[in-house]
Amino acid sequence: MKNSIRLKAGKFLTTAFGVILVSGITGGLTFAAETLPAGFKKGELAAEPSADMIEAGKRVYFTKCVWCHGVDGAGDGPGADRLWPRPRNFNQGTFKIRHTASGELPLFDAKKPTPGQNDLFETVTHGLPGSAMPSWEGILTEEQRLQVLSFVTTQLVKDRKFTDKQSESQSVLQLSDLKPIPATEESLKKGAELIVEKKCVECHGADGRGDGNAFNLKDDWGFSIQPANWHKCWNFRGSRQDPYNVKNIFRTFSTGVNGTPMPSFADNTTVEERWHIANFVNSLCEREADGTPLSIDQLTDKPKVNFVLSSGVVLENGEIPADPENELWQKRARRIIAMGGQITHKPRNFVNRIDDIWVKSLYNDKHIAFMFQWDDRTKSVAEGKLPWPPTSVNIDVKEQDPKTGEEGSIASRQNNYAVYNDAVAIETAVKWKDLPAPIKPRYLFGSNEQFPMDIMKWEADGSLRAFKGTGWDKDFEERDNYEESSKLLFSEWKNGRWTVIIQRPLGNKKDQDYDEDTFFEMGQYIPTVFFAWDGHNGDAGRKMAVSAFYYTFLEPPTPKEAYIYPIVIAVGVVFLEGWILMRRANKRKAKNV
Amino acid sequence: MKALMSVAALAGAAGILLLAGMIVGIVPSNYVRLIEGYMPVQVIAELTLFVAGFTGLSYMMAAMGMAFPRFWQGILFWAFILLYLKFRIYPPIPFSVRAMYGTISLVAIFMWVSANEEDWKKFKQPIMNVLDAKTGGTKALRIGYLFIIPILIGGFSYNAMVPKSEEPIELRTVHPAPPASTKVHGKTYTLQTSQNPYRVNPEGKYDQEYSNANIVEQGMGRLMKPNANPWDKDAQGYLKYVREGGEIFYQNCHFCHGDNLNGRGLHAFAFNPIPANFTDPGTIAQLQETFIFWRVSKGGIGLPNEGFPWASVMPPWEQHLTVDEIWKVVLFEYWHTGYYPRTWD
Repeated sequence: MKNSIRLKAGKFLTTAFGVILVSGITGGLTFAAETLPAGFKKGELAAEPSADMIEAGKRVYFTKCVWCHGVDGAGDGPGADRLWPRPRNFNQGTFKIRHTASGELPLFDAKKPTPGQNDLFETVTHGLPGSAMPSWEGILTEEQRLQVLSFVTTQLVKDRKFTDKQSESQSVLQLSDLKPIPATEESLKKGAELIVEKKCVECHGADGRGDGNAFNLKDDWGFSIQPANWHKCWNFRGSRQDPYNVKNIFRTFSTGVNGTPMPSFADNTTVEERWHIANFVNSLCEREADGTPLSIDQLTDKPKVNFVLSSGVVLENGEIPADPENELWQKRARRIIAMGGQITHKPRNFVNRIDDIWVKSLYNDKHIAFMFQWDDRTKSVAEGKLPWPPTSVNIDVKEQDPKTGEEGSIASRQNNYAVYNDAVAIETAVKWKDLPAPIKPRYLFGSNEQFPMDIMKWEADGSLRAFKGTGWDKDFEERDNYEESSKLLFSEWKNGRWTVIIQRPLGNKKDQDYDEDTFFEMGQYIPTVFFAWDGHNGDAGRKMAVSAFYYTFLEPPTPKEAYIYPIVIAVGVVFLEGWILMRRANKRKAKNV
Repeated sequence: MKALMSVAALAGAAGILLLAGMIVGIVPSNYVRLIEGYMPVQVIAELTLFVAGFTGLSYMMAAMGMAFPRFWQGILFWAFILLYLKFRIYPPIPFSVRAMYGTISLVAIFMWVSANEEDWKKFKQPIMNVLDAKTGGTKALRIGYLFIIPILIGGFSYNAMVPKSEEPIELRTVHPAPPASTKVHGKTYTLQTSQNPYRVNPEGKYDQEYSNANIVEQGMGRLMKPNANPWDKDAQGYLKYVREGGEIFYQNCHFCHGDNLNGRGLHAFAFNPIPANFTDPGTIAQLQETFIFWRVSKGGIGLPNEGFPWASVMPPWEQHLTVDEIWKVVLFEYWHTGYYPRTWD
């Protein structure tokens, strides 16, 4: 809304200037410069790309881009309907990542692939993290990227013209000249106040997990859209491979994201205020316990994953604390579990809204507990009784058809699903000790009766259930008295994040059943899979998020030998040294004599 | 002689600088490319060049009166080999292999420094000096070693004994042997004799040559041939089916295998190992079209026992696609990557 008003005003002004210029008075330009927001400078429109470039770009477009963006660039290619956010419609010339003021066209010059001065080139080079747009670096040459952009900007952007001085202007954010303010405590404090004052929290939520107003936001084409989660900076559009750089946030905040409800704040904030906000938002991104950024995998542009989840021992047979604020939980190292959509069996989950879970684990002599923390913009609890029993696997949840056109698309249905329970489950191998060396049960609910899986599922209605899985399409089997010996220690949804702690027996032959319960053993690697459901995404049954196979590893306490033997060895080395020196001295003496 | 040696010395110095660049990370390891298939020969040749360079260097230094003691020559050369193995070879080789090469080169260096009595004496002289500790410097050194060696060895053994958790290594067969035939949607397909029904020329006849002439071009970007656009309204036969296969691919497969078929799709980061990269010459380029048809139809769940540990979430696509759709997707994958399917003969 705001953008379009600005746009109209801009058009009116340029027409007015046209009249003034014709009558020979050229003072208008300085007036235009004065109206620019702080940190911006007037820029020149680039020249039109050559016809050769455009023609060559067509070939690139129809090999690589057409599949999602469509023949006419309307964002309606065959892949579009199963994507959310949908691929961009180029026709209106609305582009997200820019150095130009809100509503303006992005910077693009087919002759100048300079970082910071060519927005579209950078978008194609780096892709848009958190969306389906991949990075084309290393796939297309610089030349090919410029060619395809020449084609898109001249042939597929239909409502506007990149070279039309009458209707277009460029006010360029001078990002390289603006020095970031150090993220001191004072700056962060100011930033924290400003995000409330500037109403950022209304959409992005009190803790910045994108959970404010998540249901009423629409993009320019009427598709539902959700505010960014500030805790996952690697998913910020335009942040690839440098997600912890505060400049990304400063730029987005200054220029807005065209086509979305994210406005530019350039007009009503000073440059200094923008740095404070950017510093604060940047400080929220997930980090290691010591405050250093998570290491980002260069292949996937997401945090690096370690596939061993080690569980820490609670010494002296103490209780496992039920309070996540307890020192034992706080000190425990966490692991990120990467989650993908379950797209193997129907119903498939193409738009996976839970893309990671943070897991910690503790154990004592009787129990093992897992703490799951994941971001979910909405707390979802199904109303009334669900139409299927908890053990049912083949349930009737609709999968989206890949119909081209807006009606059947995921983006148009998003936020209109029947609401089911948010849920999380952990699946561990039963009788893992008896599995021949390389064998693991199948990742989805086990292989068969011989290689079953032990599944524990928590749902937002407060239930904690234990199942045995014997195959991807077999209904679960209930397990005897396992639920009674397990316990939900904690569950809470707060400002866009679930925290759930479940406790279960370690397993022993007296109280548990070796054929359907996992027996956890110290120092062993136990195959583990995680599942998660977002109730407002219509997730139920197999429509869920899945992880790969991880290993649960119960850390053995450091054995006493680890302290004794090294000392014995060191003392032995000292004796050896003495012996060598004695021998040498004796030899020399013998020589001298 | 001197001229020759100074050239060698220059080459040696340049080589060291290049390696230093690789160690610090300024020069990427693949800056000087290791030619596929000739890597061992190339590595030995490079090492020989380095040895020649070092010979030149030590000769020149001796000539300038800055002779390098044999003891340090030996140690530095060993350090050089270790660094070379770690930072020069790309893709990197595992530590266990490096340790093996390191041990072998250590033995070789010992043989070199103890080749004759005089060399051996020269080599062990610095060690003896420290043991004898006749000067203040060597005395301090001797006391230092007396403490440092036991502390280091104690530390190492503590490290080795503290419990650790590392992901167990799992070996798996990437391309398990296919069955003789596969039954999809009620029909049996013999892998050796089946053909992709959509690999046809505009007249509708099976025509491998025609389709091979219309796949995308190899080289950076892998772009379509200028006159073979599957999106052309008049496209018939092979190219039309490529487009239809692409439509299916971008509705079903790209989530994992990626928009560029390189295994880096939206959900790829969650999987271990990440999904297959079709642009890699080691995947579909190595396989017959019917093999792909079988893998796509049956998915990870249909892998034979030798395909353990079943670390594949590949869906059995027969659950979601018709036989025709599967053939078209296979057709598209070969078109988009620019590879020819292998034939049985």
